[in-house]
Amino acid sequence: MINSKKIVLVGHFGVGKTSIIRRFVSNIFTDDYKVTIGVHIFKKEIEVNNTKLTFVIWDLEGKDDVEKVRKSHLIGTSGFMYVIDPTRNTTYSNIEAEVDYLKTNYPKAQLLTIANKVDLINQDVFLQEINFPVDFFTSAKTNENVEAIFTQLGLNFLNNG
Amino acid sequence: MTDSEKLVKLKELLLSEDREFVLQILQKLESVENTLHEETLLSEKVNPIVDKKIDTFAEEIPSKLGPTITEALKIQIRDSQDQVVEALFPIIGKMVKKYIQQEMKNLTESINNQVQNTFSIKKWQRKLKSFFTGVSEQKIILSEMAKPKVDQIFIIEKGSGLLIANVSKEEDNIDKDMIAGMLTAIKSFVEDAFTKEEQSLELIQYEFYNIYIQNLASYYVAAVISGSFNSDFKEKLEDKILDFASKHKKEKLVEDSKATTKLIESLFDD
Repeated sequence: MINSKKIVLVGHFGVGKTSIIRRFVSNIFTDDYKVTIGVHIFKKEIEVNNTKLTFVIWDLEGKDDVEKVRKSHLIGTSGFMYVIDPTRNTTYSNIEAEVDYLKTNYPKAQLLTIANKVDLINQDVFLQEINFPVDFFTSAKTNENVEAIFTQLGLNFLNNG
Repeated sequence: MTDSEKLVKLKELLLSEDREFVLQILQKLESVENTLHEETLLSEKVNPIVDKKIDTFAEEIPSKLGPTITEALKIQIRDSQDQVVEALFPIIGKMVKKYIQQEMKNLTESINNQVQNTFSIKKWQRKLKSFFTGVSEQKIILSEMAKPKVDQIFIIEKGSGLLIANVSKEEDNIDKDMIAGMLTAIKSFVEDAFTKEEQSLELIQYEFYNIYIQNLASYYVAAVISGSFNSDFKEKLEDKILDFASKHKKEKLVEDSKATTKLIESLFDD
């Protein structure tokens, strides 16, 4: 029985999708920004509740509208991470509709909303501003909660078959 | 003692130390002058310093002069392309010629080895084939050498791109899960970009290898083939894969990857 899961990170360009993955997979962080073109594939094996899971992580190029992402890249996804940058309003102004689109079109997939770059903001102020439930605040730079979001996704997989 | 004698005595007392000091300085000056004018003496003193400087300089050449030299070379090559081509052409030509000669030699040796293998059944089969077809034995050997063969097979879930199973003839360190993902991403990109009707990516070529892709209902098979991939081989492989797919549904393949691996091995048979 294969225990591999396809994880896809979506969100606007520059929100830190690649940085989160690189921090999680290789524990690396760099300040220089290199735009993702097309898709990069990463892999990491983790253990959640004594169960080994293989995460094949698809790092998609940033799009300002999730509907513009190639459908073929989203098909078969077990878990989405919708990543926003709390320092840029445009990356979350439409979050409700974007998340709704993913939930409607991929009902079997797990989904986490993630506000990255938490080291640059005041969380309480931001939560009042966004008015939408954010599952995790992460920082690829300081490594805050990066491991936790993937573990949470793993737990969601195990709890939901 | 007269006054003048007293004066002399006083002078002697007062200046004798200064005189001695001046004398010492004069001697030192003379020694320095000698060292400067005598090459052997001078080199004894200066050579170690110069050597040390040269060593430091040599060590620092790549970091200090490297970028300047590279830039200068770039400009030089850009501004005098014809001269550069003229200078390099004979050297590269010789290298290519030598490489081809070596490869031809290896090929000839390999053919000769096969021809001289008198106890091989294959040899007699070849001789018969040559006799009946009129094609020389060496040409038949050449075609045998370039015969396509399956090196690796991936069974990949459609959509997710997750690897269901993989069998490789040779061990390698490439991550199969990532290959499966990338193949799926490339495949979906090509299909999205060029789809006018229901079409799918069937073949990826790179240097000496071909990746043949056979799409099925819920998974696809990617076969890495070396040698000269031709339509005859493709048809046979396609039949084998379709036969495999008709017998094995995705759910079964996913359930037991070890059993699946054994099943895939049948696709390697000649």
